[in-house]
Amino acid sequence: MGKSLIIAEQSEIIRKGLVYIAEAVGLFNAIREVACASALNELIERFKPDVLIINPGMVSIESLETLKELNDGSMKIAAMVYALFDDELMSRFDEVIMVSDTRNKIQKKIYSLIDKTPAGKQKKPEEALSNRELDVLKLLVKGLSNKEISDKLFISTHTVISHRKNITRKLNIKSVAGLTVYAILNELISIEEVQ
Amino acid sequence: MKDLIISGKMKMADIINHDKRALVLMPRFGIELGFGDQTVREICKNKGIDTDFFILMVNVFLNPNYFPDRKLKGLDVDMLLFYLENSHKYYLEEKIPYLESLLEEFKNSVDHPATGQLEKFFGQYIEEVKDHLAYEDHTAFPYVAALSEQIKSNNPNIKDIDYHIGVFKERHDNIEEKLSDLKSLLIKYFPPSDDRYLRIRLLNELMDFEDDLINHARIEDKVLIPIVGQLEQKIS
Repeated sequence: MGKSLIIAEQSEIIRKGLVYIAEAVGLFNAIREVACASALNELIERFKPDVLIINPGMVSIESLETLKELNDGSMKIAAMVYALFDDELMSRFDEVIMVSDTRNKIQKKIYSLIDKTPAGKQKKPEEALSNRELDVLKLLVKGLSNKEISDKLFISTHTVISHRKNITRKLNIKSVAGLTVYAILNELISIEEVQ
Repeated sequence: MKDLIISGKMKMADIINHDKRALVLMPRFGIELGFGDQTVREICKNKGIDTDFFILMVNVFLNPNYFPDRKLKGLDVDMLLFYLENSHKYYLEEKIPYLESLLEEFKNSVDHPATGQLEKFFGQYIEEVKDHLAYEDHTAFPYVAALSEQIKSNNPNIKDIDYHIGVFKERHDNIEEKLSDLKSLLIKYFPPSDDRYLRIRLLNELMDFEDDLINHARIEDKVLIPIVGQLEQKIS
């Protein structure tokens, strides 16, 4: 699916340059430009961009934090820097693009922002199972014993047991039969895999 | 809710109004609703129920912190068994079939492959509960009845009975774990269903059943087991 980008920058020459480079990345199906901060919030609300590249001169620490809250907090924000800015402010961006960066480097930075987006969007809740716990859960509901699971995953039975404890604590489900229903609900296994 | 300690002078209707859990106890003592303003003592007298026993049982059932120790002596064991068997009857003939019918409805209202598995899981749970009740009805309670009979007939001959209440104590394991899992699945993990009220009804009934079983188990732990322990001492 195509991503969308908003570029907020006063200088036309820099703005157009960024549009040019961002187009070449090939990931965006929509790139919008804005030259002043006043219309920015509304534009973000309307177009829900995946990435915002902005001149740090257009925001304060407070207004940057407000921007982060928009779009369910899923939008990545990069700074377009060609002057000196406050370190504290700079540290709050997801990425910093320098005016001296080569085209290649800028594109890499944009790529890495997009890459981070899905992980950022999912923002795992505290109680989500880890990948290892999911592995254990899948084998458990297929009817494997602790010993069989430990052999299959190359971990000790002690570790299997501690994973099982965590699974139960996180999901609030103790019995294997209950965990099986959970696994099917979450498409971790199919009905056919359960005897 | 503040714990209410029941006394014989209270009106039965007031007790039920104060704590609705007392409602399910009525049929277990053979008491029918429609008793007007009668007090606990009056109703018990009419029904031939030992008032002290009634008060003790209601207090234990409604109040987890109520310790009946000193009042246990001289308690009518047959009355206790009558009560326990009536409780089981209520679970088997009323509560479980209703839960099963609600779950069946739920299964039909949710189009998801996991509902079949949920039904299977629920079926296993019900089987466990039934096994547990059947064990008590067919093994533990008859033993207690025989024991009480022997003591009444002044013919203590415990050797005829190959059982003791310690076994019951050990077997009196938790059957609540699966119920808690069922609740989690319905509260947290099933996707929204078409019939939201049905799901709430089902959850309400499950939680109600859970409470009832916990209170019931407390009666067995705090009243039945100590009393039978006392009877066993008399004979040995």
